[in-house]
Amino acid sequence: MTLQTTTDTLPAPSRFSVRTVLQNAGIGRALLALIIFFSVFTEHFLTPNNITNILTQITINLVLAVGMTFVILIGGIDLSVGSVMAFAAVVAGKAITLPGFGPAEAIALAVIAATLTGVLCGLINGAISAYWALPSFIITLGMLNIARGAALQVSDAQTIYSFPYAFEEFGSAMIYGVPVVFLVALVLVFMAWFVLNFTVFGRLLYGIGNNEEAVRLAGQSVRRYKIAAFTICGFTAGIAAVVYMARLNISSPIAGIGFELNAIAAVIIGGTSLSGGRGSVIGTLLGAFIIGVLANGLILIGLSDFMRQMITGVVIIFAVILDHYRAKYAAT
Amino acid sequence: MKIFKLAAAAATGLALLAGTAMADDKPKVGLIMKSLANEFFQNMMAGAEAHQEKRGDYELLAVGMQNETDFESQINAVENFITQGVDAIVVAPADSRAMVRPLKKAMEAGIVVVNFDVALDEDAKKQQGIELAFVGPDNRGGAKLAGDALGKKLGEGGKVVIIEGNPGADNANQRRMGFEDSVAEYKLDLLDSRTAHWETEEANTVFSNMLTAHPDIQGVMAANDSMAIGVVKALESAGRTDIMVVGFDNIPAVGPMIEDGRMLATVDQFGTDMAANAIDLALEVVGGGGELKGWVKTPIELVAAQ
Repeated sequence: MTLQTTTDTLPAPSRFSVRTVLQNAGIGRALLALIIFFSVFTEHFLTPNNITNILTQITINLVLAVGMTFVILIGGIDLSVGSVMAFAAVVAGKAITLPGFGPAEAIALAVIAATLTGVLCGLINGAISAYWALPSFIITLGMLNIARGAALQVSDAQTIYSFPYAFEEFGSAMIYGVPVVFLVALVLVFMAWFVLNFTVFGRLLYGIGNNEEAVRLAGQSVRRYKIAAFTICGFTAGIAAVVYMARLNISSPIAGIGFELNAIAAVIIGGTSLSGGRGSVIGTLLGAFIIGVLANGLILIGLSDFMRQMITGVVIIFAVILDHYRAKYAAT
Repeated sequence: MKIFKLAAAAATGLALLAGTAMADDKPKVGLIMKSLANEFFQNMMAGAEAHQEKRGDYELLAVGMQNETDFESQINAVENFITQGVDAIVVAPADSRAMVRPLKKAMEAGIVVVNFDVALDEDAKKQQGIELAFVGPDNRGGAKLAGDALGKKLGEGGKVVIIEGNPGADNANQRRMGFEDSVAEYKLDLLDSRTAHWETEEANTVFSNMLTAHPDIQGVMAANDSMAIGVVKALESAGRTDIMVVGFDNIPAVGPMIEDGRMLATVDQFGTDMAANAIDLALEVVGGGGELKGWVKTPIELVAAQ
């Protein structure tokens, strides 16, 4: 990149480039292979009920992973999303069980509380790591503890329960066998895809991941975009909290331990580079599917818990090796 | 040299003073809990604090952990309590082996040690040459109570699955074994047994998948209520009302589920009182009562709809 880089000489939108197609096809093919494998070797894998299950089961991870994609694209990481989700769920749980509200108001209040909590945590993550140019790894590690502690503090370590019936219905509602909560996640994926590919903001995020200095020299405020990426990640953690509450009808302060790692795994398996600048949210969608299909299929096959964990680990490493070759291909 | 002698004398004087001052003081009890992020221990802690206020004749120093596997901070807590010169240590060990050596140190320092909630490992105790009573519920027996309730309903050949706690955790093992005892006694057909790490969301996912693999499941034994809630939600979204669920712990959130039949039963081990009871026993020993021996079983009770 040269010094006169401007927004329009940043990497071109990746929507129709051969490279992107190949990148996604690689993951898509892996997913297809898994699906075929489990369909052949298990009786129930390709049944409508099981597909509904898989869609429900990947929803929370997918929602978290969409936000995580933004952060990883700029070369950052957010370790706090699992804890932030729990914190948002607990705050929303407190809000939804407040006396004196009708079901509709209570639910609206809960959704607002959850997303605001998430956005606030993300904003703090972003502001601190951008303002002092500190590694997001350590700032979000701090936030992981702050949010978990806050979740336990606010809830007094008790599970919050008995939410309005309508909320429960939303959590288990289906449209032609597709869980509504999954559709919410899909809308998020679509929005993220649009923002990343068709807006200056999105292209600048790729630019920051590729060459932060160049974006800065182009006269753009890197700081502001970084903060925005983390805030989006916090926002999706808030949405994940709403999904968690609707699905399980409780708010547990110990929810989401380790979810950040699953979200990161989905993004990386989906082909987004950990060093930023390269990847797509469609890849993340496929990555979340691969993790979910594996978790589901390996149980259906009857594999033990320990073997299951080992295989998931192997897949993650395999994905990164694949990414290494993709990077090489991209460079030539 | 004179100054050293003076200092030594002063130190002895101070120590004596401190000694008498301590004798006048109320006995100090150090309470070491597991993860306070866990509702169960949080309630136990609240129970102990209420107990201290009610009795008022001892001083309570309580320490919790970050998470269930944070052995390090429990060991540090024992060492700190030895330094602080507490009269008794009441401990719910996070690991039944790792805690034995530090507790031996405490006993050598003349501190009364009471082990509650999870029993220390017998072999590890023998190895260190210590004898230590255990005050706590019979997790295995409790799980069997719940398992039996399910077994009675299903009868011979009933198809069941177990949702286990954290692999390697002593109470998780005990509860799994209790469930397996029921399986053997009622000749149930155990289709699958998997961990969901005590967690609701994971239990929801894992159980949904088990149900897909075995649509003919008739009963579920969950090693704690948090996981039982996840199972109940999975049954609701699968539209199944023919499958019976039992849990363990009797947390408030399952009350309504037992009432309306979404859960068959759970087991109450009166966790709120558990630490308080152990403190009572420790104070008896501190006050000159006889030593505790063997296993002092605390009450457990099956909770089912009326």
